[in-house]
Amino acid sequence: MLEARLEQANLLKKVVDAIKDLVQDCNFDCNDSGIALQAMDNSHVALVSMLLRSEAFNPFRCDRNIALGINLGSLTKVLRAAQSDDILTLKAEDAPDVVNLVFENSASDRISEYDIKLMDIDQEHLGIPETEYAATITMPAAEFQRICRDLTALSESVSIECTKEGVKFSCQGDIGSGSVQLRQHTNVDKPGENVEIDLSEPVSLTFSLKYLVNFCKASGLSDTVKLSLSSEVPLLVEYGLSNNSYLRFYLAPKIGDEE
Amino acid sequence: MARATRAKPAPKEPTPESIPSTTPPLPEATSNPPKLFILPKDTSSDARIVTLDNPAASTPSRYYFCPSKGFYEFSRIAAPKKACRSWLITSQEVKTSENEKSKELEEPGKQDDSEAGLGSGYTTKNADLFLATPVDLLFLILPALAPKSAKEEKQHFLALDDYTDMLSASSQHWKTLLAQHPSLKLMLERKMRTLCDTVDAGVETMYRISHAKLLAILVKKAERMVQNSLPPSMEEKFVKSALDIPVMSIRREDSTLSAVSESGTSTPAADSQASTTAEAESQATDITTPDKAEVPAKPSLQTPEGIPHLLRLRTALSYLTSSYLPPSLVSTITTLLSTPTSPIDFTPLTAHLSTIAKLKSEAAALRSISDNISRKRQFECNEDKIAEREEKKRKKEEEDRKKKSESLGVKKLRKVDTTGMKKMSAFFSVKPKAK
Repeated sequence: MLEARLEQANLLKKVVDAIKDLVQDCNFDCNDSGIALQAMDNSHVALVSMLLRSEAFNPFRCDRNIALGINLGSLTKVLRAAQSDDILTLKAEDAPDVVNLVFENSASDRISEYDIKLMDIDQEHLGIPETEYAATITMPAAEFQRICRDLTALSESVSIECTKEGVKFSCQGDIGSGSVQLRQHTNVDKPGENVEIDLSEPVSLTFSLKYLVNFCKASGLSDTVKLSLSSEVPLLVEYGLSNNSYLRFYLAPKIGDEE
Repeated sequence: MARATRAKPAPKEPTPESIPSTTPPLPEATSNPPKLFILPKDTSSDARIVTLDNPAASTPSRYYFCPSKGFYEFSRIAAPKKACRSWLITSQEVKTSENEKSKELEEPGKQDDSEAGLGSGYTTKNADLFLATPVDLLFLILPALAPKSAKEEKQHFLALDDYTDMLSASSQHWKTLLAQHPSLKLMLERKMRTLCDTVDAGVETMYRISHAKLLAILVKKAERMVQNSLPPSMEEKFVKSALDIPVMSIRREDSTLSAVSESGTSTPAADSQASTTAEAESQATDITTPDKAEVPAKPSLQTPEGIPHLLRLRTALSYLTSSYLPPSLVSTITTLLSTPTSPIDFTPLTAHLSTIAKLKSEAAALRSISDNISRKRQFECNEDKIAEREEKKRKKEEEDRKKKSESLGVKKLRKVDTTGMKKMSAFFSVKPKAK
């Protein structure tokens, strides 16, 4: 049986909002270490991996490993009924037909309860090894979102070029071309606006902007985003959450399609 | 008609090699094994087997001629190829009560228990039986009377001697027969009178074949043939199946059914090139099929009264013409039959048959459709296949539902150009399923 109490319903709301446009249905794999999720988009070129560690919940109880197959659209509908600062409790039996969500509003003593029917989802699970990336860029999530949004107007794909000078996002489209260059930058007052570049070797890769824009929907979850690149491997876009939890997106680079 | 039940060895029968009953090795098979004949009773001693031209095929065939009784033709009755039969022929003394009718499959065992007579017996490999049945002299002289070819329309009146000369020219045996038996010439003349138009030219009477007369004779013969109903195999094949009115839904395989059942029974008829009307009659006597039984009670179309009889007549006639008439006469007779002056009016029959043909073609068309369906069903009958199909259907429905429930973002992502992008599984290995 699973029982997980989340102080802020907002967290789950945002996570689900961020991935619901990438995948439709996915399994929430619950075990004693927390709730994990891994899913690919329909084209299988992007992958989302989420981990909400048990520490994120208070309390967290999971006796057996349970896979909750949920349609994210349905979950979004139910979560819309929760207010951001509601206390959210997830409950499920050991072999569940439904997952039970309880929203408690401490201020108004309002308790709402919803059941979502579960589904059997046959998804393949990929093993993602820990990788040493050639370049790791940490930057404000809002900044990354803005760059992606701005460049989308010009082109479908962006080239991310990381050198010791800094990181350059550039694109070329029908109407012209554009680029945004960021240098390493430290803001003592606002550490959230730091741009850190950890580079072991220069790297340049091209990615689909549409997917990146899609990933940026998770921007609300975290102040900073970490981009990890190595040639010939997927880009990792990671939004760090509290208690070592994370929301990670992987995107296959465009190869042999220089624009 | 006289029909002996005793086997007589064929005149040219080779002497069966005497088998020593004590020694086990059997003598070698003779190259010319004895044949079994059933010949007419009380024939004169002058009776002999002659080779004359078959009127229809104009190939030399064997006939049995008795000066007092006339001609007999031979019909070979053979066992079906698959049913292996053989004859055991023993000497006269042994045949006390049961005679030659001992069809034997296990010969050696039989040989032991009656060493006296069986020792000189003989086993033939083929269980053929040659049955002599009377044939009308008329048919045998037809080749001489008929025009040599269809073109030769103008026929002259000729004297009887001219015709006999013609016959003698065609076959050596005719010549001998005519020379040896003056009675034959009388028989010939009698037949000629029934068959031909005659003109008296002084002392001599001149003859010319009359198609109308021939037709009349044929019709008479056919009527006699039909009187006691046709042999069952003919009845089945030409009358019953032809009159079968297709039932749209139930009996689809009428035609094939009849064809199958026919194959077994018709072997003797098919084998014997020429079996006479007389034989046909006698064969049919024991199996009289009442008319009502074979008129199938079908809802769609009733077989009118008299149609089966007409069809039988026509079957008999076509049998007679095809087996006994020279080819040059066949067309003349058939055209004569179809003219309004023909003695039998077949128009109701042809009308009925064409209706049936129409129905049958409709049924066939229907069958090809329904066959398709039934085959499909049969295919589906397989439980697995049904399950598979349902699974597929279910999956498809699920997919459709999924597509409908897709969020806007997912829909947009579908349209993204992903060329040059490898699948995730190209980078990360698929983990074996947990649990």
